[in-house]
Amino acid sequence: MQAVEKTFKERLIDFTMYCRERQFVLGPQETRDAFEVAGRGWVLDRKLFQYSLKAIYCKRKEHFDRFDEMFDRFWSRYYEEKLEQRKKQIKQLKKEKETATVIFLGTEFKVPKKEVKEQEAKETVGANESIRLRLTDFSKVNVADKEKLEELAEELFHQMSMRFKRRLENANKGTIDIRNTIRHGISKGGMLLDLSYKRKRKEKRKVVFILDVSGSMDTYSYYLLRYVMVLKKYFKSLEFFTFSTTLTHVTPMLRQNNEQEVLKQIGKNVNSWSSGTKIGESLTEFLSEYGSKFLSQKHIVVILSDGLETGNVTVLREAVRTIRRKCKTLVWLNPLKGMEGYQPIQKGMVNVMPHLDAFESAHNLDSLLKLEKLLMDV
Amino acid sequence: MNKDIEKLIKDFYEHDYILNEELATSIFLLKNLEKPLLLEGNPGVGKTMLAKTLAEHLGTNLIRLQCYEGLDVSTTIYEWNYQKQLLHIKLFEQDEDKLALQNQIFGMDYILQRPLLQAISADKPVVLLIDEIDRADEEFEAYLLELLSDFQISIPELGTIKAKSKPLVILTSNRTRELSDALRRRCLYHWVDFPSKMGEINIIAKKLPNIDEALATQVVTFIHNLRKSSLHKPPGIAESLDWAKTLLLMNQKNITDEIVKTTIGSVLKHKDDVEFVKNKSVQEFLYPID
Repeated sequence: MQAVEKTFKERLIDFTMYCRERQFVLGPQETRDAFEVAGRGWVLDRKLFQYSLKAIYCKRKEHFDRFDEMFDRFWSRYYEEKLEQRKKQIKQLKKEKETATVIFLGTEFKVPKKEVKEQEAKETVGANESIRLRLTDFSKVNVADKEKLEELAEELFHQMSMRFKRRLENANKGTIDIRNTIRHGISKGGMLLDLSYKRKRKEKRKVVFILDVSGSMDTYSYYLLRYVMVLKKYFKSLEFFTFSTTLTHVTPMLRQNNEQEVLKQIGKNVNSWSSGTKIGESLTEFLSEYGSKFLSQKHIVVILSDGLETGNVTVLREAVRTIRRKCKTLVWLNPLKGMEGYQPIQKGMVNVMPHLDAFESAHNLDSLLKLEKLLMDV
Repeated sequence: MNKDIEKLIKDFYEHDYILNEELATSIFLLKNLEKPLLLEGNPGVGKTMLAKTLAEHLGTNLIRLQCYEGLDVSTTIYEWNYQKQLLHIKLFEQDEDKLALQNQIFGMDYILQRPLLQAISADKPVVLLIDEIDRADEEFEAYLLELLSDFQISIPELGTIKAKSKPLVILTSNRTRELSDALRRRCLYHWVDFPSKMGEINIIAKKLPNIDEALATQVVTFIHNLRKSSLHKPPGIAESLDWAKTLLLMNQKNITDEIVKTTIGSVLKHKDDVEFVKNKSVQEFLYPID
């Protein structure tokens, strides 16, 4: 915790110096103000943080015109460096794991005992941190953890996407999976007693995601959106909609490969981001506008919403019932389900529960990753 | 978008002022960091109106100091009420305690408060607008420094007067002269630009609910193209509104050459600019913009 805060402070001071090098006249007062802004948690909201620093650091129009570009360049550069560091760490870990296998098989290579202990300690701390972040509710992520969570999400989503991409899956019969067979043999002293098999993955399903981006879902929408973007790489026939008071078809915006660009574009185009929620009306609109095209017995429909309906509940119930009738599986992901003591007793949820095939939480990384199985199985 | 910023934008909208997210963040900081906000921008982009709207939004008083060349302490901070002092001396000249008399006539009761002193003496925070600071002398800027950084004013006879409640200070400048770095350093900064095409259409629609959308679009397109031409005085938002209002009163549905010739006076305030536009076809200013 201490170390992370220090890193953030250093980063902010680096940015101040970066601005000074570019003729911004900044004294200790500006730095203090910037820290105050960061300390109030405004750093969590990138735009709020950017515009706040802009008001504090700029003193004339020439600064004002250049600031946004400088901000993007600096923080993007930092992010890329962090990503690079992370990749190196992963590479290093993999290398160490390979070495460990060699030791197990009794080759000459030996690692001094002290070093092994240190490495174990580091890995344990890392594992605890990773588990803690995976279980942290998105709405409760603090400033210090946000960046770490971003990195972890990136890594885990990437791994998930790789798993999706594999064309073969484990099976009880089929072709012999040599890699797995050898791996299982290691625990039996290298004897290949059990054979592992693999077979072709079943036909991919078509998926429709409908994401609630209303004010009450604001903290979750960002991660859910990123999750869907990863899935898009696997499910060729994935359709994506967002809604709060109106429905927006965002699939065409997902065609770009640059994730940040996509997020920016979606932010620009989705007019009702962070406003009220009219789930029933939005789903009805989905049915009338896109239902015939994107609903069939091959489709799995995933609705991501907290179910806090502000419109007519009857409309919501009818819409959900119709969607269920027209699709293969209907899944409702509700971030509130992850809250201790939560019961789906709100009017909206009570009315839709009887029509759902699955009702899952989506409040932290772990719960999102668990959905993988659900989507693989369909 | 951050909920506080969103609420601020909504509140300002209800007071007929359309804020963008960036400017809303500056206002948010002004309220939270208690630092003055320096607004620079071309004339007519809504800098003064922003301060008025902020006062309405907060339900507080607006104290405005219009700057001009020659502005000094006696017109901006305080002045001794000489007549009242003389009267007091006359009334109590028989008293033997001359020191007490002196103390009495140099008290707060004998001061005429000018805008800056009024602003820091108010019981609840007011909005202090120091308008067109670039028109005042550099000496006056120096007077302001103490107020802007410490929210206090020094009066030699009385000592330092600290603010009872910190005012929300907005300074505006049209950049007719460069302000000192000392002043800039004490302020948050925002460059207020002309709004985007859609932004300006929204402003007109908000202020003139009866206007036809097509006419509002034509007005804004025309004005935006005018701003791109090198005019002596590019039209501001107030001019766009005036022109839209004029066209609405004349029941016009479209902008024609004839209409431009008769009404352009409400948009352009310089003879050469008016001649420039009159010598061109209206279509030259109605080509689509981004």
